[in-house]
Amino acid sequence: MKKNLLPLIIFIFLACFLWKPASSIAAEPGGGEETESSKLLEELKEGFEYSIRFLTSGAYQDVSNISQNPNNDFFRIPRYLTELGLRPDACLNFRRLELSVKPRLNVEWRAWEDGTRKGDDEFDNDLFINEWLTRMRVTEGLFVSYGRENLQWGPSYLFSPSNPFFMDNGRGNPKREVAGMDFARLVWLPGMSWTVSLIANLDEGRQEFRYYEFDKTYALKLDYAGQEEYAGLILSHKESDRTKLGAYGGWTATDALLLYGEGVVSRGSNALYPKNAGNPLGASMEAADDDDSSFKSIFLVGGSYTLEMGPTLTVEYVYNGPGYSDTQADAYYRLRQDAADAYALTGLIQGLSRLTLSRTADPKLRFLRRNYVMLQYNHNDIKDVLNLTFRWTQNIDDGSGQFTSIVECFVGDHTQLFLVGSVNSGGRDTEFRTPLGCQCMIGLEYTF
Amino acid sequence: MILVAGIVFYTNPVLAEMTPKEILEKSDEARGSVKGIEWEIKLKSIENGRKQSRTLKIKACDFNSLAEFLSPPKVKGRKLLMIDRNMWFIKPGLRKPVPISPRQKLMGGASNGDIASTNYAGDYDATLVSEDTVNGELCYLLDLTAINKKVTYDRIKYWVSKKRLIGVKAEFFTVSGKMFKSATFEYGNNIQIEEKPKPFVSKMIITDAVIKENVTTMTYSKIRLRKIPDSTFNLNLLVR
Repeated sequence: MKKNLLPLIIFIFLACFLWKPASSIAAEPGGGEETESSKLLEELKEGFEYSIRFLTSGAYQDVSNISQNPNNDFFRIPRYLTELGLRPDACLNFRRLELSVKPRLNVEWRAWEDGTRKGDDEFDNDLFINEWLTRMRVTEGLFVSYGRENLQWGPSYLFSPSNPFFMDNGRGNPKREVAGMDFARLVWLPGMSWTVSLIANLDEGRQEFRYYEFDKTYALKLDYAGQEEYAGLILSHKESDRTKLGAYGGWTATDALLLYGEGVVSRGSNALYPKNAGNPLGASMEAADDDDSSFKSIFLVGGSYTLEMGPTLTVEYVYNGPGYSDTQADAYYRLRQDAADAYALTGLIQGLSRLTLSRTADPKLRFLRRNYVMLQYNHNDIKDVLNLTFRWTQNIDDGSGQFTSIVECFVGDHTQLFLVGSVNSGGRDTEFRTPLGCQCMIGLEYTF
Repeated sequence: MILVAGIVFYTNPVLAEMTPKEILEKSDEARGSVKGIEWEIKLKSIENGRKQSRTLKIKACDFNSLAEFLSPPKVKGRKLLMIDRNMWFIKPGLRKPVPISPRQKLMGGASNGDIASTNYAGDYDATLVSEDTVNGELCYLLDLTAINKKVTYDRIKYWVSKKRLIGVKAEFFTVSGKMFKSATFEYGNNIQIEEKPKPFVSKMIITDAVIKENVTTMTYSKIRLRKIPDSTFNLNLLVR
C-alpha cells in the first residue's frame, strides 16, 4: 500500500455516520419523526451514487534501441505487461456537502526481454486512492473543496496548453487513468454564464515527478459559457518558475461544426535546450530561456465536423513556440547520442550520461519541435456496440508521426472488450522515434 | 391562409388573440420548456431490427440541461451537458469533458438535441399554414423555420391541438427539404404551472422517414418541477 487510505476511511466513516441514524430512526414508530427520518433516508439514498469497474488487460511493447534508451537500460521497459484493476467510484451528495472517493486496486505482472533485465519478471500490487474530494457549498454560488483531483479542461484532444497542472489529458490511452494531484479550490458562480475559480495545487499526490522536484502552482481561472460559445482565461504561477497566461475557447458554428482554440503565453521558458559546456560530453541541457523576457507562446487551433452518417472528423494544429529549431534539434540528438555512448562506461562520465539522458527524456516540453497536425476519426455507438477512434499526429518539422487507435466493443450490457494501440514512424533522430516503437493493449472491462 | 386565420379567430375568441409564436410557446410548456424541471427518459429504439435501450435522468432549466445515463451499466455514469448550443460529453474514467455537436446521435433515431429540445419558440419562426386533424383532433398546422443554422432541424411541420394547445405530431426536414423523420407526442403526465394542472409529455415516438420500421420511443416519467441551481450546469463542478 503505497499511499495512505485515510480519505477512504473518512468517507466510509461519514457515509456510515450519515446512514446509520437514518436507518435506525426510520424503523422507529412515531408520526412526524418517522416522516422526517424517512425523508432523510430518501435524501441520502438519492444523493449516493457508485459504480464499480473491473479491468484486465495484456500489453505488448516493442522496445526500440534508440539513443534515449540505450539497450533499454535507461527506461527498462518491459516487453509484456498484464494488469488486473478494480476501480470503484463512490459519491455522496448530501445537502451542502459532497464527498467522493476513487480507490484503486492494481495487480501487475511485467516481463523483460530487452536490456540487462532480460529474462526477469515481477509481480506488483498497489492499493491507493487516485482521486478523492470533499466539497462544501458555502452559499448558492460559492463552493470550497479540497481533494486529490485530475483537473482537466479545454476543448482540444492532443493536449491542453492552457492547463498549467497536467500535461497529459488522458486521451492517449483512456484505459490508463491520469494520476491525481492535491488541490484546494474556491469556485464562485456570479451568474449562469460566468465562473471564477481560485485553484492551488499543493501536493504532487499520485503524480510522479521522476526528474524534477514538485512545485506548488496557483491559478486564477475565469470561465464563460454563452449561447453557442465558451471561453476561459487562466492566470497561473508556479513556485520557482514563472507566471503564465492561458486561454481556451470554442464555438458551435453549426449543428455539426465545432471550432476551438487553446493557448498559453509566458515571458521566457523553463524548457531545456542543448548548450555547449566544458564537460566530457561537450554540451548539457540548460534552461537557456529562463531569464529571457520575450514572449513564448504555445497555441492550438482545431475543428471537428460530424457527418450525417455519424462519424466525427477532427483536425488540430499546434504551434509550440518554445520547441526546438532544426539547429537545436540536431544539437539535442547529438548530445543524446553522446550520452548514450557514455552510458555503459564507468566512473563520473556514467553519472553525467545518466543526468543528461534524464534531461533529454523530459526537457520540460510537451512536444519537442514547433509545428504539429493531428487528424482524428471518431465514431461511437456503431450498431450500439462499437466505438472507434483513429488518430494520426504528424510532426511537420521532422516528418515523424504517431498513429493511435482505440477500439471498444461492447458484449452485452456489462462487458467491453478494448484494444488500444499505437505505432510510431520516423527516421533516426526524429521525435516520434520513441523508445516504444509500437504498443498494443488488449483487455476487458466489466461494469457492475 | 388569411381565410384559415379568419376561421380560427371566429371560432375561438381567446385563441384568436394568440399569434403562432404564442401557440408555440404554450405548446412548449407541455414538453419541458418551464423554469426548473427534472424527469427520467426511457429510450427504446429498433433500428434495422436491432433493439437498444437507455435510461436517462434529465435536469433542465431555461436553455440548459444535464442528462445523466442511468442504465444499462455499460453507459452508466455518462453525462451530457448542454448549455444552450454548447454540448459536452463526460465519460466515467475520463476527466476531460469532450465538446460535441448537436448532430451527434444519442441513440437510434434520437439526436442529442432531441432529449431536451423543448424550446421550439426560441429556435424557430412559426407560420400558421392551415388546420388539419390528427387522430380526429383539430390542430393548427405550423410551419417552423429555423431562426439560425445551429438548430438540429432546419424546418419542422408541427401540429398543435387547438383545444389542448399541445404539440401532437411533427415532421422534421433537412436543408434540402427532404423529410427524414417524424414524431408523435402523447401527454399522459400532469404538472402544476402557476397552481394549475397542465398536461405534460409522456411519450415521443420518432419514426424514420425512409425505413418506417426504425422507431425510437422516448417515455417520460418521474417529472418534478423544482429549482435547478446554476451549479448543476457548471463544468467546473460537474466533473468529479
